[in-house]
Amino acid sequence: MRERWLGWIDGSLLALVFASVAVVVVAGLIQVSFGAFSMSIAQAWQAVFNPDVLLNPKALEAFFLGGEIPEMGRRSLIVWNIRLPRVLVGAFVGMNLAVSGAIFQAVTRNELASPFILGVSSGAGLMILLTLVVFSGLSAILPLIAAIGGAIAFLIVYFIAWKNGTSPIRLVLAGVIVSTVLGSVQTGLFFFADDLGVVQSAISWTTGSLTGTDWEQVRMVLPWTGVAMALALVSARQLNVLLLGESTAKSLGMSVERVRFALSGVAVLAAAASIAAAGIVGFVGLIVPHMVRNIVGSDYKKLVIGCVFVGPALMVAADVGARLALSPVQIPVGIVTGLIGGPYFLYLMRKQDNMGEI
Amino acid sequence: MTDNNDETRQRDGGSVTTVDRDFSQSGHRDGTNETASTFAGEELVIGYSSTEEPVIEEASIHVTPGEVTALVGPNGSGKSTLLKGLADQLSRDSGTVRLDGTGIDELSTKELARKLGLLSQENVSPDSLSVEKLVEHGRYPHRGFFDSLTDADQAAIDRAISLSGIDHLREREVGSLSGGQKQLVWIAMVLAQETGVLLLDEPTTFLDLHHQLEVMEIVETLRDESDITVVLVLHDIDQAARYADHMVALKDGAIYARGSPEEMITEKLLADVFEIDARVEQTDRGPRIEPLRPHHDDGKTEKRETAVAEQPIEPAREEIESRGRSDYTEHVNN
Repeated sequence: MRERWLGWIDGSLLALVFASVAVVVVAGLIQVSFGAFSMSIAQAWQAVFNPDVLLNPKALEAFFLGGEIPEMGRRSLIVWNIRLPRVLVGAFVGMNLAVSGAIFQAVTRNELASPFILGVSSGAGLMILLTLVVFSGLSAILPLIAAIGGAIAFLIVYFIAWKNGTSPIRLVLAGVIVSTVLGSVQTGLFFFADDLGVVQSAISWTTGSLTGTDWEQVRMVLPWTGVAMALALVSARQLNVLLLGESTAKSLGMSVERVRFALSGVAVLAAAASIAAAGIVGFVGLIVPHMVRNIVGSDYKKLVIGCVFVGPALMVAADVGARLALSPVQIPVGIVTGLIGGPYFLYLMRKQDNMGEI
Repeated sequence: MTDNNDETRQRDGGSVTTVDRDFSQSGHRDGTNETASTFAGEELVIGYSSTEEPVIEEASIHVTPGEVTALVGPNGSGKSTLLKGLADQLSRDSGTVRLDGTGIDELSTKELARKLGLLSQENVSPDSLSVEKLVEHGRYPHRGFFDSLTDADQAAIDRAISLSGIDHLREREVGSLSGGQKQLVWIAMVLAQETGVLLLDEPTTFLDLHHQLEVMEIVETLRDESDITVVLVLHDIDQAARYADHMVALKDGAIYARGSPEEMITEKLLADVFEIDARVEQTDRGPRIEPLRPHHDDGKTEKRETAVAEQPIEPAREEIESRGRSDYTEHVNN
């Protein structure tokens, strides 16, 4: 097998991974240092690497598995209990969205596909509004309901697109139509919201926000992220073969429909996990795979790994803006990703001659 | 896996006199291909879901194992449709395709892909993919979900690359290649599949002359040095005559005639199937066609050319008759 195991990792991928880790670390440090309770970078750094917390199994257990948080200093408590989880949730959400987008782009063989292309966002958004406006008793399990809504919308889209099998174009069209219909219902529901707080809450869910995220969100999103990332990584070769088009994939012995559905399922899982934690954060899933593809090429083995690192970098950096730019007012992170992502995407469009097909 | 056994194969000089419509028994060569895959389609009815009438109606085709069969016919005659049906890319309305005696519906997609390779007419791939990586995908049916590339896989990839003559392109990105080079790379990918049966859908259409010859040279090598059963759709009937062992002519979704190139390439067949007047000349590279003019729908054919067509047809016909093959066409009911 001769150096085949790691032979495919090349310089550009390594550079990308290191740069992304650096961005996450710097943005993360900024996040834990600044805020209503300010401390210096050095103090924040000390708090993050405070051995009393880091090496305390009880504390880690409390954070990652839930439970009573042991005694710790004030700075450590603020950093570890309030600010760090937000960074972690942001990183996981970015990871999920980026990988989900990468998968959907292969499944639809379209560079313009995003995690929300197949109706996922509209389904989740509708369920969020329904829960907040109509079934307010269920708001405790809102994240779960949102994720389920996304998954159901995806199934509806798949069902509509199915006619002796699906095709990328039918899937995308069905996605657009289902999104439009569900979007109208969503807008309609806003009229029935009688309270500004409910409307604001709904907007922050449907634009995506990390405000108030906690270890609880970390615990919720972590296992699904692990599952989705592992599945995406082992499926890299299937994704690569899908890129060769349906008839080639089939003649190579792939059960195209089954693989396409399964991979879409992985992507929906990742997207749903991110929705449950942060709501519908736009553009990350669209532009991150794009950026990574420009740097490492279209081999999904590298692309997925690149997305696992660049997604968190973009998301954590954007959340710095969302949390600190207009301090003390926090804006939903989805607004920042839209403000970064939109122009970047336009720039790509101007630069590249042909966009669309991978 | 097909071994390149060293048996020398020569075209027999007409010593076989048995005439059998089933080509798998026609004994075209001395060296019979015991290890070659048998491949046949029986009473195939194939159509597209968008149209009501099937494109192919009740066509049966038995391919000689280990040899090259060319499907020819005018545009819209159904030759590509037939090939796609044989490759299980289009679902058949009825009929069976048998590979080594087994109906292909009984095989899983992966099992089928280990035995039957198909090169489609149009292929897409990401531009940044390297040639070697693309050829590597040919090993897909041989690998399990978690399997990494084995030495056997690597050997198959190397063989396919060298057989296609693309060693020098190995590291290049597919997007940077010319259309002809791309085609060679795609052929290498299908060869890396190491199937007993290889179906090629118009492999030379749209290529420049150089790459057309490169592609046909690969086909020639497969014919002479391997047991692979090749079926290809060719647009260019000259090419079919030169490189194929057998030809099958389609017209309006039915098999109109079949036979060896010498038997098939006649002015009458060209007139009947392709609706052209042409002059056929026998050369040592097989029959050569000089197309003269198309027939028009109003049925007017110019007298002068009919006279040409009615001239006695040169040695080929006599040779065929001396072999005892008086009837060179086999008509299939529509």
